[in-house]
Amino acid sequence: MTVVQLRGVSLDYSVKEHTATSIKEYFIQVLRGRRKRKVIRALREVDLEVERAECVGIIGRNGAGKSTMLKVVSGILRPTRGTVSVDGRVAPILELGTGFDYELSGRENIELNALLLGLSRREIKALEESIIDFSGIRRSIEQPVKSYSLGMVARLGFAIATASIPSVLILDEVTAVGDAEFMLRCQRRVDELVSSGTTTLVVSHDETTIRRLCTRCVLLEGGEIRAQGKVDEVLAEYGRRTLHRIDSASGSQSHETEDSALEASSAV
Amino acid sequence: MRLHHDLVFVLVKRELKVRYRGSFLGAIWTMLQPLLMMLVLHTVFSAIFRFSIKNYPVYALTGVLFWNFFSQSITNSMNSLRGNAILLRKVAVPYAVFPFAAVVSGVVNLVLALVPLLALLIVTDHKIGPALLFLPVAIAIALLFTLGAGLALSPLAVFFTDVIEFVTVLLTLTMYLTPVFYPKDILPDHFYWIVHYNPIRSVLEVFRDPIYLSKIPPIQHLSVALLCAMASFAIGVWIYRKSERRIAFFV
Repeated sequence: MTVVQLRGVSLDYSVKEHTATSIKEYFIQVLRGRRKRKVIRALREVDLEVERAECVGIIGRNGAGKSTMLKVVSGILRPTRGTVSVDGRVAPILELGTGFDYELSGRENIELNALLLGLSRREIKALEESIIDFSGIRRSIEQPVKSYSLGMVARLGFAIATASIPSVLILDEVTAVGDAEFMLRCQRRVDELVSSGTTTLVVSHDETTIRRLCTRCVLLEGGEIRAQGKVDEVLAEYGRRTLHRIDSASGSQSHETEDSALEASSAV
Repeated sequence: MRLHHDLVFVLVKRELKVRYRGSFLGAIWTMLQPLLMMLVLHTVFSAIFRFSIKNYPVYALTGVLFWNFFSQSITNSMNSLRGNAILLRKVAVPYAVFPFAAVVSGVVNLVLALVPLLALLIVTDHKIGPALLFLPVAIAIALLFTLGAGLALSPLAVFFTDVIEFVTVLLTLTMYLTPVFYPKDILPDHFYWIVHYNPIRSVLEVFRDPIYLSKIPPIQHLSVALLCAMASFAIGVWIYRKSERRIAFFV
């Protein structure tokens, strides 16, 4: 069963040539007739199908469109062209403490954060105790989150995001902040979710994470899918491309190349 | 829809909790602040300006309560999307819940602040009539009016930082163009019309009449206020809808 389906998805950011961040600038530009738009195509004709319980790794260099693709899947950005269909609830694992109110207690944050992630209040009530157990911070749960350590915040966030079984789990560069024990529990939990049918999309620059979690891999470059298939093969292809680019870059002029290459690959 | 309703509820709860936690007097501040403000106005105006108006404290306090609600709700909803930027980049939350929650919190604070107003009515031996029961309608009209402005301003503040500075100044100007603490008829003729055609004045009077005059506002006033509120809400929803898709790119 296909859970995530992207068909011919393109996404254009229209960036003003001279960005106006103030109204004054805006009007000056309008008057001078300089409101030309530069279109940056962040995704280009992306086709992707992900089956139930699959775990797909998305790799590519900075600016390749990885996070944009995840945003399209989670419904934050609507594609300019193409169709997106996702069956069920998408749960992102947020960066440390996003969506938390540091003045509120851990327990109050469970309600707030889980609602933001799309759970209903009834579901939250039912899951509250298991979230507290999994996070392992029961003793501090009534304390304001501002008194927590980074690890505790991460534990609570992860516990909330994975408490109910989402149909799609999104891991975007979730950096390791917890201690070894917690990391292990996280991995187990992700494994559990996958075996209970959750589809997972992982963005990471860490090969080990990709190899451990993913069953399939997608290489993005300049907003296009350049390769997909077996994890090893795609990682190898990515390595080859990176090497090739660095070699040809050091052959020509040095510093500017990285930036302009990035620009060229993403601009239209 | 049910979910959004829950979300607004929890966001309002958060706003109130965070506001009152860690402050010694807590919610009492919401009641005390307008009273102190009224005292200041009373002192200044009875000593310096002296206009003849019966029971000025009640007149001033109704104005202050209304204005606090209006300006705080506008400011908070304007900042609501910017303030949650990191979250909005990661989770598909309906943006409108944030300005909504800001204005609803404002209403809760307004209702809390009606307690000292009631105390003042009793202390000054002001007439307390059944017209007070009309207040929920008046507050609903004020809510609709403010929500419209909040919905329009929250995305605009995301696109242009200046909106925040501009609106802050505009709010001060509007306060003087609204009979918050002075009676309308002290104005010279050539200014009268500005205040008269100010829609906020109309909404304010619908709130003030049941308390200060202890009568239900006349039907013409009421329909003008309701019309202004509906127009504001419609324009707000329109601007919000038009900008909704672009918010994610700018926030």
